[in-house]
Amino acid sequence: MRVLIIGDGKVGHSLAGQLILEGHEVTIVDRSEAALQRSMDTLDAMAVKGNGVNADTLREAGAPDADIVIAVTVSDEINMLACLTAKRLGAKYAIARIRDPEYHKSLPFLMKELLIDYVINPERILAQEISRILRYPFTGSIETFARGRVELMDFRLGPGDALAGHSLRDLYAHKPSLPRVLFCAVQRGEEALIPKGDLVLQADDHVYVASDVPTITAFFKAIGKNTSGVRSVMLMGAGRIAYYLAEMLLKMHIQVTVVELDEEVAQEFSEALPQARVILGDGTDQELLSGEGLDTYDAFVTLSGLDEENIMAGLYAQRLGVRKVVVKTSRDNYQELLGSLGLDSAVSVKQSTGDTILRAVRTRSAADAAAAVERLYHIIDGEIEALEFIARQEDRVLGAPLMELALRPDALIAVIVRDGQVYIPTGRDTLREGDRVIVMVKGGGVERLDDILGGQA
Amino acid sequence: MNRRLILGILGRLLLLEAGLMLLSLAVSMYYGEGDAPSFLYSIGILLAVGLPLSALSRPEKNAVRAREGLAAVGLAWILLSAFGALPFMFSGATVYYWDALFETVSGFTTTGASILPAVEHLPHGILFWRSFTHWVGGMGVLVLTLAVMPKFGGKGSQLARAESPGPTFSKMVPRMTDTARLMYAIYAAMTLVLILLLLLSGMPLFDTLIHAMGTAGTGGFSSRNLSVGAYGNAWAEMIIMVFMFLFGANFTLYFRLLKGEGLKSFKSEEFRAYLLLALGSVLVIALNILPRFGNFFTALRYSGFQVSSIMSTTGYATTDFALWPQFSHILLLLLMLVGASAGSTAGGIKVVRMVILGKAAVHEVGHEVSPRRVRMLKLDGKPVGADVLRGVLVFFFIYVSFLFVGTLVASTDGHDFLTCFSATASCLSNIGPGLSLVGPVGNFGIFSPHVKYLLTFMMLAGRLEFIPLLALFHPSVWRNGH
Repeated sequence: MRVLIIGDGKVGHSLAGQLILEGHEVTIVDRSEAALQRSMDTLDAMAVKGNGVNADTLREAGAPDADIVIAVTVSDEINMLACLTAKRLGAKYAIARIRDPEYHKSLPFLMKELLIDYVINPERILAQEISRILRYPFTGSIETFARGRVELMDFRLGPGDALAGHSLRDLYAHKPSLPRVLFCAVQRGEEALIPKGDLVLQADDHVYVASDVPTITAFFKAIGKNTSGVRSVMLMGAGRIAYYLAEMLLKMHIQVTVVELDEEVAQEFSEALPQARVILGDGTDQELLSGEGLDTYDAFVTLSGLDEENIMAGLYAQRLGVRKVVVKTSRDNYQELLGSLGLDSAVSVKQSTGDTILRAVRTRSAADAAAAVERLYHIIDGEIEALEFIARQEDRVLGAPLMELALRPDALIAVIVRDGQVYIPTGRDTLREGDRVIVMVKGGGVERLDDILGGQA
Repeated sequence: MNRRLILGILGRLLLLEAGLMLLSLAVSMYYGEGDAPSFLYSIGILLAVGLPLSALSRPEKNAVRAREGLAAVGLAWILLSAFGALPFMFSGATVYYWDALFETVSGFTTTGASILPAVEHLPHGILFWRSFTHWVGGMGVLVLTLAVMPKFGGKGSQLARAESPGPTFSKMVPRMTDTARLMYAIYAAMTLVLILLLLLSGMPLFDTLIHAMGTAGTGGFSSRNLSVGAYGNAWAEMIIMVFMFLFGANFTLYFRLLKGEGLKSFKSEEFRAYLLLALGSVLVIALNILPRFGNFFTALRYSGFQVSSIMSTTGYATTDFALWPQFSHILLLLLMLVGASAGSTAGGIKVVRMVILGKAAVHEVGHEVSPRRVRMLKLDGKPVGADVLRGVLVFFFIYVSFLFVGTLVASTDGHDFLTCFSATASCLSNIGPGLSLVGPVGNFGIFSPHVKYLLTFMMLAGRLEFIPLLALFHPSVWRNGH
């Protein structure tokens, strides 16, 4: 695909390198000659110097024929305008980095009016990641389908887990009270499996399950995975990540306290999220923290800009007996070290931004080949695809009970969403027109819903 | 510098050269004039050296940085010429190695200066090889490598940048391999059109191939001692005249034309200057030589061909312009220095550099007059960066230094000033014929071996625009590792 990257900063540069490796044609636009020169010395890309909002520059950079435009300059406003201009010139798909919470509230409107197809917000992604660590500490990832109604989560089976040793078919016969989720995929060692009824779960299996949000929470509770029960969280630092995280936590009725040194920032935060308790003071000051009753909180999250401060404050909170401590770091290699100290860590911004955009591009290039796909995720190192379709009248899989369909052996119908209700399908169910269907496939090759049928398709 | 990487690249280039010789081998076998073994031996030697070298490293795995790009290009051209000279030696076309080397370098650098006194007696295979080096050298050997070895491509920008003529190098499309292929596709398509037209004009097939390759590479080797003038074919002259000019234009223009930008493609200050300079010179010279020919259109025909040939740095001749009046001489000599456009197959200082230099001069005067006024040096509406301007100024200085030092050394043979000066200029700008003793009917065989080596070096330096060759003398390029 032809990809146009606007903004040759750290994210733009590393993104370009990765996309070239994956075989895309990349053109980079930036105003800085020096940045472009550096990229040209190491990357097989084309460089165009100029302002990414200028139509002439974009035209010269090939925006009219671009399959994807990615705007990652430092300015939200330039990113938005660049996307709009490029789309008007004929670009097919636009991705913008927009990080200001101010814009985030009106995002649906902005996206629609400015023709932006995908927005990446690194701080919000990190906030989501931390929220996941707080809510489901045992999962590796969460993907959402059907506009957030369905979640796909993975966890590792421990040796003493109640699920181990049961085949999927008689799991529910043994435990009728277990909330119904669908086992979508299992990673056993290096191997990725699409589970059938006769698969027996083993300890150390990496299991992917899907269902609607309340059911999945109940499921984890039932199998003894602690969904943490965090009721109160203290945050250190009131920056953008803190804002997004606090907003998410407050929605889940979790009590939030924020400690911030800068008076102006603290006031803005309090204005934006009045339900949060904002404390003006130094988050590394141990007296202040204990004075605010840090030991009574269920969790402590350090979000300052300095890794060292975050780690020290985190260690202190741990000694006070706070159950869950999450430390934000800007470096990947701290993760293991912090883990050995018993701290959870969330790695910040640059890496996750690049990864997320890459995933969006991959999805886009796969979806480009298959226009019927609503959403696509790769799991287990890309071995298995999770695809979301909307069933259409002409699909041949409609009408017949699922057990009568001759599915591909490596395909699975995971979840059906009908009229806003989430169903885990059984063999007697039938698909109807308009259903949202989430399908798991190993080995690719599915571009339409009918492709999950074996042989005769 | 990563030496294994360089050796690996050089090894692959030698293999490519062996591949290129296969074509000449086929020609020589078709004509059966006994020169086939000389190609067989050469190919054998190339394989014997190239195979072990190319096994030394896998260039696709290493990053080619600026210094490796420069060194690889400099060494590649030296090695290709050294081995490309073998067929001349084996076939007995030349007795001395310096003559064979001169002829080969003259071929690859698209100069077209010859030390061979009677080309008409040479076997067809050798003639074909001589002209084929023009065609490959015109667009660039490393660019060809990038085009045919896609694994190379990702790392190849540095190679292409070092090999391509002009103050800046810009890709046509994002991927280097695609850019290289596109350049060669445009080049090959234009050559094909030229071949068809020449055939239609009534030129024999073999001569057509020779002159098409000589024109496309803006080289100038002919299969006749009297060059294009030997045919007395006005149509062929017209066709070659037009195509010499076209191959001297920036290929980016043709790419934009292909993209469907229409006449807007040619909206470039360099192209405008190139066209105006050519047209003006044609007219002035035609008026100057009018008394010799008596007929304005005849004068225009000779003047047009000669100006196009000299400006595009091809060097074909339809008449002995060494007999023309002084004014025409000097004007042609100046055009030799200017040359054609950047991003073409031609040599010389390049029109775009002259345009930038001219603008810089006007700026400097303006700056002296009102020092506080803020000005921006622009080309095609875009600011010319300080780096580019510095590069152009330094290039001009190096070019002039080489020209004068070259003239000095050449004069040790005792020939007149115009001979020495025009021979050096002609080699530096990759044109071919000079004036006086090395005029269109003259020959570079008159020089002694050391002057031939000097001129050989001048041709390489001019084709590569100095830096890749001079970089080889820079100690830090040879330091291993970083």
